[in-house]
Amino acid sequence: MSQSTAVAPGAPVPEAQQDEFNPFLAMAERFDTAADHLGLDAGVRDVLRTPDRELTVAIPVLMDDGSLRVFKGYRVQHNFMRGPCKGGIRFAPDVHLDEVRALAAWMTWKCSVVNLPFGGAKGGVICNPQELSMGELERITRRYTASILDLLGPDRDVPAPDINTNEQTMAWIMDTYSMHVRRTSTAVVTGKPLNLGGSRGRREATGRGVMISCREALKMIGLRPDETRVVVQGAGNVGGIGALLMHREGYKILSLSDVYGAIHDPKGLDMPDVIAWQQKHKRIDNYPKAQKLSVAEQIELECDVLIPAATENQITSKNVDRIKARLIVEGANGPSTAPADKKLEARGVISVPDILANAGGVTVSYFEWVQDRMGYFWTEEVVNSRLEQTMVSAIEEVKATAKKYSVSLRTAAYILAIDRVVTVYRLRGVFA
Amino acid sequence: MTKEVEALKPGLARSIAPTPALDEETPFATMMSLYDEAAAKLGIDPSNYAILRKPDREVAVALPVKLDDGTWTVFDGYRVQHNQGLGPFTGPFRVSGDLKIDELRALAAWMTWKCALINVPFGGAAGGIRIEPRKRSRGELERAVRRYTASLLDVLGPEKDILTPDIGTDENMMAWIMDTVSTHERTTASAVVTGKPMALGGSRLSAEAVALGLRTILRLALERFGAPATRPRIHLQGLGVVGGTLAGLLDADGMKIVAVSDVTTALYDERGLDVPALLDWVREHGSLEGTPSSAERISNEDLLRRPCDVLIPCAVPNAIHSHNAREIQAKLVVEGAHGPVSARADRILDERGIPIVPDILANAGGVVLDYFEWVQNRQGLSWLEEVIEKRLGRFMTEAWQAVLELQSRHAVRLRMAANMLAVERVARADQMRGIYA
Repeated sequence: MSQSTAVAPGAPVPEAQQDEFNPFLAMAERFDTAADHLGLDAGVRDVLRTPDRELTVAIPVLMDDGSLRVFKGYRVQHNFMRGPCKGGIRFAPDVHLDEVRALAAWMTWKCSVVNLPFGGAKGGVICNPQELSMGELERITRRYTASILDLLGPDRDVPAPDINTNEQTMAWIMDTYSMHVRRTSTAVVTGKPLNLGGSRGRREATGRGVMISCREALKMIGLRPDETRVVVQGAGNVGGIGALLMHREGYKILSLSDVYGAIHDPKGLDMPDVIAWQQKHKRIDNYPKAQKLSVAEQIELECDVLIPAATENQITSKNVDRIKARLIVEGANGPSTAPADKKLEARGVISVPDILANAGGVTVSYFEWVQDRMGYFWTEEVVNSRLEQTMVSAIEEVKATAKKYSVSLRTAAYILAIDRVVTVYRLRGVFA
Repeated sequence: MTKEVEALKPGLARSIAPTPALDEETPFATMMSLYDEAAAKLGIDPSNYAILRKPDREVAVALPVKLDDGTWTVFDGYRVQHNQGLGPFTGPFRVSGDLKIDELRALAAWMTWKCALINVPFGGAAGGIRIEPRKRSRGELERAVRRYTASLLDVLGPEKDILTPDIGTDENMMAWIMDTVSTHERTTASAVVTGKPMALGGSRLSAEAVALGLRTILRLALERFGAPATRPRIHLQGLGVVGGTLAGLLDADGMKIVAVSDVTTALYDERGLDVPALLDWVREHGSLEGTPSSAERISNEDLLRRPCDVLIPCAVPNAIHSHNAREIQAKLVVEGAHGPVSARADRILDERGIPIVPDILANAGGVVLDYFEWVQNRQGLSWLEEVIEKRLGRFMTEAWQAVLELQSRHAVRLRMAANMLAVERVARADQMRGIYA
């Protein structure tokens, strides 16, 4: 999941700006725009805005020093009309129920836009993993899993990794669930290690999806990969792998950044060399064969494509006027704020929205679930080619929707996603 | 020699279980000593490895059965589940008069390694009923098998433990188990057993699986160890389900089979035998005995001893033992049967520089097909022969490559490399899952 690269905003923002940066409001605004185009009535809007189910659990954990601490955990299931819920579990000190709700709804739209048979969910535990031992993390994970066990299951709710959780965490969840139900249940969680029912190609999935989205969107501008200059913010699973794959396709990667800073080469970076450096030094800002830049400067570089693939709220009303890209492919979740969005759209800048551009991760999570259910595992080529098909047809459908309603790709993606959920909702009806 | 006759008789369960009879006290200890060495070479922390020394669970059940004469008797049933780090348990279900719990423990552990090595998502188990099947009527057997299934119901299931056919079983018994589980659970639980009849969710190519896997491994081994000529001279011992099918496949591939044997007869022809004619004879007459072939009559021992490029023992355990190992003149040995090379012979051949492709890898095609049957049942889709053959080839090839990689990295022989790969995979899964209480 692409969320693993996102970091919650650190310093408190001034009150005047809070609305722009509130994830729940950001989601709500985009939802309302699309709902207006679809002409949804107030009742249906209410249903889709309200999470189906929310569970808050207290997680008592015996710490290594012998003391007992109680952590708080959440699981929010936004909507399961289209299938079992799907969404990450994050461990962070600033996990907030409101944010979990917004992210759960986001997952509903994301799964719907790429047409996966899932609804959206999100979970989190308020804790600081940097201060916890592996043993403490394991006990938190297992107790949290046991506490929300009745909500989980391959046909109920399938978690995935998110901020500060990884394949080890997923292995613990799989083991805990399997022990409770007294059978091997790999399909209860995705993002597992390969030898425990994980999928080939998952690590690269979001980056690959970004590459595919970019290629398909460029057709709207009429640029060929080899004449396209790209700036990538973020060098993790999304940005780093996305940039590497795009380099391989012939794109010129002008600049790449990580949390420490950005590097820039007007002739194009030698991506395999940069990634080799990153693997060795764990950072790229000190890469010697390129110029240095600050991250704030990087985002304003002259380029054709900008791929913000790090954290949310990077393109804001403050810097939007200095953004020079013609195409923005949102690798991160919510990298541009709603006000910035409007300005970009007015200037004719095309944005491939996050729920579409970074859906490669959840798509391969879905593939993992499918493979676990049948117990048979695809080769990497099969995974990649199915990912390609899924992404390309989603983008085609979003483009067609944009044309039909004369709206931006973002609004079109929401229209398509919401419409699919509403259609299923009308077919299933209200169960009483 | 009854064991030998069984192994060669077509129509019996395709996987005659391994029980390497080595020179230690119990089969389980013997089995584990091989893997102790592998774990030590891998540098796996003995404390992590300790869990693999004991089966996860052993269930013993008393099976009251009404006999045909109206009296009651009680049979013993067992299921030993060794390790489920990689997934649900799977392993042989055996019906035999001399069922020994320690042998089942060894078999269960062996299945854990075999599944890990060939990369199917299962752990190992083994079990059975202590009954002499030939002395019982079908009705008595059916009642015993159904009661066994019902008694073990809580630990069986498509995601718990999948039973595979073994000594003394047939596809009808597997169908009884499937029916008993399905009726109790009120679902159609075809994925709880493999080796079912085609009409009840069995798989195509089930009977040919071991031979198909052997063919793939043989091709890869010839590439690796250098095929001496375009047509290597092959000696094949055993013309049962495995050996017979393999002989037909290799002959169709244009390979030169110079010697074959079954328990009655051994034949030799330097120019290559007329394999289709021999197989036809066996199909009609049950054995090679009386074949009109003009080939030279030799003994089974001669077949092992005469010079050749590849020797494939597909018949009995310990065919190559400490007394004949020094006379083997093959350039490569591929173990088609379970444990055809005794532990001492293994060391002797190794000293003499003759590579051996170990049984756990070479004959793993059967386990892969059991796994494929389970997948097809879960999907509710029956795969075509081409699909099965292609996928089976991929599993065998990937395991072969992984074993070769470990072999060259640790400078060990193939058997050790295969054991190391298996232990590493299981230990890694156990490590990731951790201990849950």
